Amino acid sequence: MTVLSLVACLLALVCLQLGTQYIGVGRILGLFVSLLFGRSVDEQMVDTAGVILFQVRLPRVALGFLVGSCLASVGVALQALLRNPLADPYVLGVSSGAALGVAVAVLFGIGTTVLALSLLPVCGFVGGLVALAVIYRMATTHERLPIHSVLLAGVILNAMFSALIMFITSIMEPNRSFGMMAWLMGSLTAPAFPVLVALSGYLLIGLVLLFKQVRVLNILALGEEPARSLGIDTERVKRFIFLVSALMTGAVVSFSGMIGFIGMIVPHAVRLVLGADHRLLLPASALVGGMFLMVADTIARSLFVPSEVPVGVITALAGGPFFVYVLVWRKDRLA
Amino acid sequence: MKRRQQGILTGMPFMANITPRTFIDDAGRKLYVAKAPARVVSLAPSITEMLFALGLDEQIVGVTDFCNFPVAAKAKAKVGYANPNLESLVALRPELIVAPREFHRANVLAKLEELKIPVLLLEATSVESIFSHIHTLGRIFDRSTEAHAMTAAMRSRMAELTARTEHLARVRVLYVINSQPLITVGPGSYIHQMIGLAGGLNIAAEAKAPYPRLTMETVLKEDPEILLFPRGSVETVSRSEQEAWRRWTTVTAVRESRLREVSADALNRPGPRVMEGLEALARAIHPEAFASEPVPVQP
Repeated sequence: MTVLSLVACLLALVCLQLGTQYIGVGRILGLFVSLLFGRSVDEQMVDTAGVILFQVRLPRVALGFLVGSCLASVGVALQALLRNPLADPYVLGVSSGAALGVAVAVLFGIGTTVLALSLLPVCGFVGGLVALAVIYRMATTHERLPIHSVLLAGVILNAMFSALIMFITSIMEPNRSFGMMAWLMGSLTAPAFPVLVALSGYLLIGLVLLFKQVRVLNILALGEEPARSLGIDTERVKRFIFLVSALMTGAVVSFSGMIGFIGMIVPHAVRLVLGADHRLLLPASALVGGMFLMVADTIARSLFVPSEVPVGVITALAGGPFFVYVLVWRKDRLA
Repeated sequence: MKRRQQGILTGMPFMANITPRTFIDDAGRKLYVAKAPARVVSLAPSITEMLFALGLDEQIVGVTDFCNFPVAAKAKAKVGYANPNLESLVALRPELIVAPREFHRANVLAKLEELKIPVLLLEATSVESIFSHIHTLGRIFDRSTEAHAMTAAMRSRMAELTARTEHLARVRVLYVINSQPLITVGPGSYIHQMIGLAGGLNIAAEAKAPYPRLTMETVLKEDPEILLFPRGSVETVSRSEQEAWRRWTTVTAVRESRLREVSADALNRPGPRVMEGLEALARAIHPEAFASEPVPVQP
């Protein structure tokens, strides 16, 4: 874990260097050191490099890391809960539910800000919750419910929500639907500092709450019967994890649109390398997911300067080959 | 036979079947319109405005949900916008459909072709292309005189407006279509060109797309002196989002508090009112050029 954290820090440093304008490591460290020695951020805003570093790249790299961590962690939790490696917030329709919540809010102009806190994450949360409520209902019938029906429900929910989102964009005024489509494709926009703090708040609380469940997740992964026999109130745990997942996905989607792939791919890759123990899997996935999105976003914003590419496109294009590589590598190791 | 000879004589046999009633649209499709259509459907607000400006009130039988100018447009049958209903289109028995290039969906076009309803696709990539659209429509509807008068008036208005600002120093401008993610205008869009005509310098001039997503880093590096937010019946960047721009305190426009709104209704529609849009742009970019006159009251 220490190694992973170290790698994450180094990667963050690399990501901070790249962009429209290259800023060398020496320069970055210099800026940080002078920050530590009492010079305020405002005093450092003397040149473009300082502004870009502190106001654009740092918040963006931080946001990328947080969003990636959350998506990967939610993926781990949902996969354990539904005992299916295909479960992730995107596939189960939680992301599109959240996106629908946000789209409805934007359509009716509820996107107002109160004390730097947008109401959009709340709308996203409600949308994500609706999706998970349906899945929860299905997953808690007393008769045996094959897990693939739950996934099927997710896929159908996803399709339904996507259709509703498309309907909303189609009735929107052309100029507004244009912006909405761009947001849906996933993008990390450097948030203002208070927004970043607020979002970090949501997400870190979510991560801590999930981390507290690692042992329970380990047991649940064995099946509900064994879990119940060990005295775990499985329904309560499920409800709790669903709620936390919806909260985190809602917040993430309202800020960065629909970034797919991370929630499914990252837990897989990590599980292949480190095994299925959630005490290790969850924090490692959080770190790897964060790094993955951080790097993907760096590519998205430096590839076609001065334009940027939707980061959702990069995660999907980079995630596939990465996944294949991990599978192949794992096979070699087994042989 | 005569046509063919003509083509060979001019040395361009491939032009042989181009007659005065044959038109090439902006998607490179060739269509033949035998006589001025008596029934036309418009699939974009800008097209509706052009048709009305050419005096075709009687001929327009269908418009989009967003066609609100002139007032008479609101009374016309609506056919949706992004996904116009093919049946309701056909039910209007149009002899011509004029649509924006984005409408280019092969299956719908093929069906309309099958139904023998010609579709003219228009794409505004420059101010000149707007003039050419007006001329094309003028020729199709036998309103060439009106079309020429209209574009001549527009050209003289454009000349007058550019004359006011061309001797002034160019101002670096960022035109914000959407804030999150940041979308602006780039080369290949007529608004990019109009910013230049209004005495501005679009900071997204290096972008490769007509409507690029711009990185915030580029904005900081290029340091716009004016931020422009289009605003109209439907604004794309709300006031609270505009306020959020104030945190970029190193940007000259923010430091000197030059966040300005431009009337978007005319500007965002590549039609006859586009010079009103140009004037709004010029006033926002170079208010000093209009200092001696009172600002016209916005309706």
